[in-house]
Amino acid sequence: MGDPRGIVFRGFPDSWLESQLGRPGRVLHNEGMEKKPRTVDPLRFTGRTIGRLLSERIESEAPYESIPWTPVSKSLHVSRVALLSTAGISMRGDPPFDMEGERKRPTWGDPSWRAIRADATPADVEVNHLHIDTGYAQRDLNVALPLDRLRELVEEGRVGAIAETHYSIMGFQGHDPMRVVRESADAIAGPLRAEGVDLLLLAPV
Amino acid sequence: MGLVARRIEELGVPTVCLNLLWMFQRIVGMPRVAAVEHPFGRPFGDVGDAATQRAVLLAALEVASTVDEPGAVVHLPFVWHEDPKHTKWHPPEPAPIIRLMKAQLAKNA
Repeated sequence: MGDPRGIVFRGFPDSWLESQLGRPGRVLHNEGMEKKPRTVDPLRFTGRTIGRLLSERIESEAPYESIPWTPVSKSLHVSRVALLSTAGISMRGDPPFDMEGERKRPTWGDPSWRAIRADATPADVEVNHLHIDTGYAQRDLNVALPLDRLRELVEEGRVGAIAETHYSIMGFQGHDPMRVVRESADAIAGPLRAEGVDLLLLAPV
Repeated sequence: MGLVARRIEELGVPTVCLNLLWMFQRIVGMPRVAAVEHPFGRPFGDVGDAATQRAVLLAALEVASTVDEPGAVVHLPFVWHEDPKHTKWHPPEPAPIIRLMKAQLAKNA
């Protein structure tokens, strides 16, 4: 797996997880006699073939050279938070992400983006992504874009405000991963800044 | 996702990436990463499991407010409730790129 840089490992006690979940939970532990907290196993659910392909791809590419950085200036309880999902979510009435294009050109993925209203429900959206089972997000959007949970955290006072607009891209970008950056990242950053968003949480699928 | 996060961060909005495949950090360089051991398609938790969804969301947001080292990966401690063998995440039909790769493998065999 090479030499991942900048890793901060934080061991969470079981009691922390229980306090977050409101029911008993288990902290990840290494197998064996000593119950040491372990790191996340990213290949646990991939299957062997996909796991091998992902590992080969990472080892074949150069490590990053620098990291852009904007300091977080506010505490979470006074921050306006927006979410971005890579699940290929679009509001009904907007054009859906282009699955036919990808079927015709398997090395291409739709690089566009969609705005999602903060009050969107599963009935208001469609989810298009050919690399996962989208049925889970279609039944409960919170598995991929937890707008209900974010609203609850605002009501509890843990988060300052929920942004009015949230975002989706479609995660599979084929042979040109920079294209979604050129076509969508700047276009999303504009309204984020205009709305005064303090923190953006991006979530994969 | 990571490359989009980098660009948005560059444009002045702090970002944190929840991540299923945190080893990509080596080649991407995301500003802040919260790694979680959940299956594809349900990164925050299972359908109807509001407690896990809330906890993962809050933990990822807290990573942003507590980590001040660029590129840090924080490993979240959540354990998926199903064994990998019984965790279904695959699409109903193979993705086009997988189909293409299988066809190429068969041709070369």
